[in-house]
Amino acid sequence: MYLIEKNNVMKLAEELAKSYDLYGPVIDNETKQVFFNKVESASEISLTAEIPALPPKTVVFPQIERITQYKYDKVGKKAEIAMTYDDRSKAIFGIRPCDLTGIIVLDRFFLGQEFVDDVYKEHRKRMFIVSNTCVVPFKQCFCVCTDSGPAADEGYDLNLTEIGDMYLVETGSEKGKAFAEKMGLKPAGDEYIALKKKVIDKSISLFEKVATDNKAWISRIMNRVTTGFIKDEVWKHIGNQCFECGACSFVCPTCSCFNIEDHNRFDGSTDRLREWDSCSFEGYTKMAGDHNPRHPVEDRRNKRFFCKLSYSQSKKYLRPGCVGCGRCQWVCPGDIGLPNVVTYIRREITE
Amino acid sequence: MDYKSGVCNFCGTGCGNYLKITDGRITGVYSSRNHPVSKGRLCVRGWHLHEWLMTDQRIDAPMIRVDGSLKKVSYEEAVNFMMDRMSVYKGKENKEIGFLASPRSSNENNYLFMKLARGVFKTNNITLDSESGHKASLNVLSEGTGFAGMTGSLEDIAKTDFILIVGSDLTKMNPIIGSEIHKAQMSGTKVVTICSRSSQIAKLSNVHLQIKPGSKKVILGALAKAAISSGAADSDYISKFTEGVETFKNSVNSLEPADIEALTGVQYSVISEIAEELSKSSSAMAFWSTGIAGLDQDTVSYIYDLFLVAGKIGKEFCGVNPIAGIANLQGGYDMGAAPDILTGFQKINSDAASKFEKAWNTTLNKEAGRDIYDLLADKNSGLKALVVADHDEGIVRYEKEIEALDFVVYFGAYDNPFIKHADVVFPVAALVEDNGTYTNTERRVQLSQKRIEPFENAMPGWKLFPMIAAKASQNWNYGSAEDVFKEITSLTPEYAGLTYAKLIDSMGIQWPCNDKNPAGCRRLDAEKAGRKFKFAPVSGNYKTPSATAEYPFLLIRGQGEHFWHQNNIMKKSYIPKREYNATLLVFPEGYVEICKEDAKALQVREHWGVKIVSGSGAMKVSVKISDDVKPGTAYVPYFIREMITEFLLEHKSDIGRGEDAIIPVRIERV
Repeated sequence: MYLIEKNNVMKLAEELAKSYDLYGPVIDNETKQVFFNKVESASEISLTAEIPALPPKTVVFPQIERITQYKYDKVGKKAEIAMTYDDRSKAIFGIRPCDLTGIIVLDRFFLGQEFVDDVYKEHRKRMFIVSNTCVVPFKQCFCVCTDSGPAADEGYDLNLTEIGDMYLVETGSEKGKAFAEKMGLKPAGDEYIALKKKVIDKSISLFEKVATDNKAWISRIMNRVTTGFIKDEVWKHIGNQCFECGACSFVCPTCSCFNIEDHNRFDGSTDRLREWDSCSFEGYTKMAGDHNPRHPVEDRRNKRFFCKLSYSQSKKYLRPGCVGCGRCQWVCPGDIGLPNVVTYIRREITE
Repeated sequence: MDYKSGVCNFCGTGCGNYLKITDGRITGVYSSRNHPVSKGRLCVRGWHLHEWLMTDQRIDAPMIRVDGSLKKVSYEEAVNFMMDRMSVYKGKENKEIGFLASPRSSNENNYLFMKLARGVFKTNNITLDSESGHKASLNVLSEGTGFAGMTGSLEDIAKTDFILIVGSDLTKMNPIIGSEIHKAQMSGTKVVTICSRSSQIAKLSNVHLQIKPGSKKVILGALAKAAISSGAADSDYISKFTEGVETFKNSVNSLEPADIEALTGVQYSVISEIAEELSKSSSAMAFWSTGIAGLDQDTVSYIYDLFLVAGKIGKEFCGVNPIAGIANLQGGYDMGAAPDILTGFQKINSDAASKFEKAWNTTLNKEAGRDIYDLLADKNSGLKALVVADHDEGIVRYEKEIEALDFVVYFGAYDNPFIKHADVVFPVAALVEDNGTYTNTERRVQLSQKRIEPFENAMPGWKLFPMIAAKASQNWNYGSAEDVFKEITSLTPEYAGLTYAKLIDSMGIQWPCNDKNPAGCRRLDAEKAGRKFKFAPVSGNYKTPSATAEYPFLLIRGQGEHFWHQNNIMKKSYIPKREYNATLLVFPEGYVEICKEDAKALQVREHWGVKIVSGSGAMKVSVKISDDVKPGTAYVPYFIREMITEFLLEHKSDIGRGEDAIIPVRIERV
């Protein structure tokens, strides 16, 4: 544990910018919307900005990215193939605990199973992560229901917690420790353990008053989702409200589904692209010969909630697939963001 | 920051978005939380706008047709070639020339296109493509209220008390408007949908009046009759703000409850109850889709008159709201891309024309022109040359007629089936390759800013169209799209107070924006309109199509979400294209939706092929069994080219009736 004065905290980011591409929460000047984006200078980053509209998963899993490039020479019958992975070193500065949890879940999906995804690994392996404790929750937050905040437990190199006019800097890795030492940070005394706990307790106590948009008592419905003891009418009620836009998956910090497409370039070469996909789309599960294991829209919807909320799926992620960021709720044209679905299911249980 | 704010270019909702730009290329899209219309939402099309804009299927150079094939040339050569060849049509009041404008083009480009037609080629034969119903709606609203646009506001949907949806499925056509209505319903607004099919928006409504196909006018007339006869109609409002109610009363009074029930299949008591709720609500809005599957002018007149009877036009949180299916359909009409109007719905045969003559320093032909599709359909029309911009839709109906034309000019950013008929092709800078304003369905004028350089140096409209005008010795002098906009605002009263500076600082401004309303205008105001609202003339014709022993099914049609105007654009995306292909894979010839009972009677199962036979044609499709239609109703979504060319085209007169084009058919097992 170390300490740094509030007005010096961005020096950490400035230092990181020297050896990494730096990413962080940025407020758009024109519209005030917050993005998680690459910055030219550390001064663009805001540590007090609300949870970015765009999940930081874009850094490790972009909306659309080229993973291979090829050109076929028809005359010589020769193909030139180049794997073009993004291997720049990246530092993400000021990621919120929910979003960091999202990256941990993505790690378990892309790296922790039978197959290791090389594209993802290249994004991830030289990464430096600085997380930022939420000393106050935002309107849409419900991370206390999903065990992913308001403070990060793991996955960071450095974790910042604002305490008075100081930031407490915790190290979560050797790399983080070395960086803190290099920066000559002042060690923090043991009293900061209690001080930090006080800050977090205060943040949790503020949820009832501040984080009023969403509540999701996930533990109350996991059993139901896993065993399938949910009435068809509930899924239908949810399915009727699905506009099949895919937004819930796109904005979700843990959604990892992707599609591969070949983009023919004007110069005759081809870019092989990987892009975000969603299990809410009919074409996603469609097989040849019109077999579709999940044909009706409510089936596709309940697949997504099964992925986020069932025990079997959570065993793979070592936690629920929802991190309580609330983004799906504000992009949903229906009224079936995950917290609402939890409520619909719970209401049926309590009746 | 890589994310730059912008406006979606698919439907007429005008959702706000951000495009991600990396190294001068588009690499993503994201929704805009603070946008007053979309509030963080986008539909499946909007979430994949970047896939379309990234495409390399572009027109990369001007081309002219030499010995049957297209040859790349300079802009200069292409302009010379065009003007040489077009000169033969001069001196005949240019009845031989037609212009087909695009409801996706910016206001600036549509304005210049219109100016080219009228100012340079002296023709008023100009039509917006992909369209059948929006102009009809604007005609009704403009005649009745003087306001040629939606009288309410999308932002007010959340605050209105009662919503009536007539016809198409807004959750598919304009999903974010559908969403807004759904959210209003959840927080207490009463939503009533009139539709022959149990569409998603019907499922999300409080009341779904699943009328017999083709009986919309009957039920609208019945609602008005019920409101009037029960005394629920707002008589104070009618006498204070309207004129001509008697004629309308007479035409709905002829409807008898027993006939109403027989024609619509809905009980009169249910209709009465809804009429009362509509009239007594504190505020109410009506919605209907325009565009290819829109309503005809007569049906729109009934909706408008019903809302006058209920006293729900020109008041707070009220509105009669035609919903444009394409990004700049409203803007296209605002720019005068129609045979009879100049910008801001100013009539070509009025004094306004002389204002334009003075500003353009030329003379104009003041006789209204003809609709391009009428000209194409009419073998004796004498149309010889067609100038087309960013085409989506109509070509599929008139391919042979277009092929037979002497000369075709095409302006566009993307590869398009029209090119194979074109003699000259001009590349134009695409969305975000130049500044441009777009006017959404609620009259919101939004600026889409230049974010990347044009593909292969494609010219923006403000450079290209003046080059053509210069060949006709007209000096159009613009240094930017903004200069064009300044000219538009100087000639268009509704746009008079708009500037690029104001638009950059806002998320769009709703016209009229002028001295009286410097911040724009959310809705029409009966108190300040300075005139009475006129009841629209209605036909009083309640004849509905009926099934016969020979043709026992009534065929209705609608639009698929992933099939968007012949799919020229959707085919350039990945995910929406895949979704379309997923349907196509299962139903390669399209499908007809019928209910379980009918399928059983016909002895057919899901996916089985059937032949649909009407009085004028036949087509083969597969069966899809669905609870969404009632016995005796057959529904075909409009997404297969062959279906349109081989079947619906044989019903040209029916197609003109838009959504109410009900075709009696029989279904045969194959």
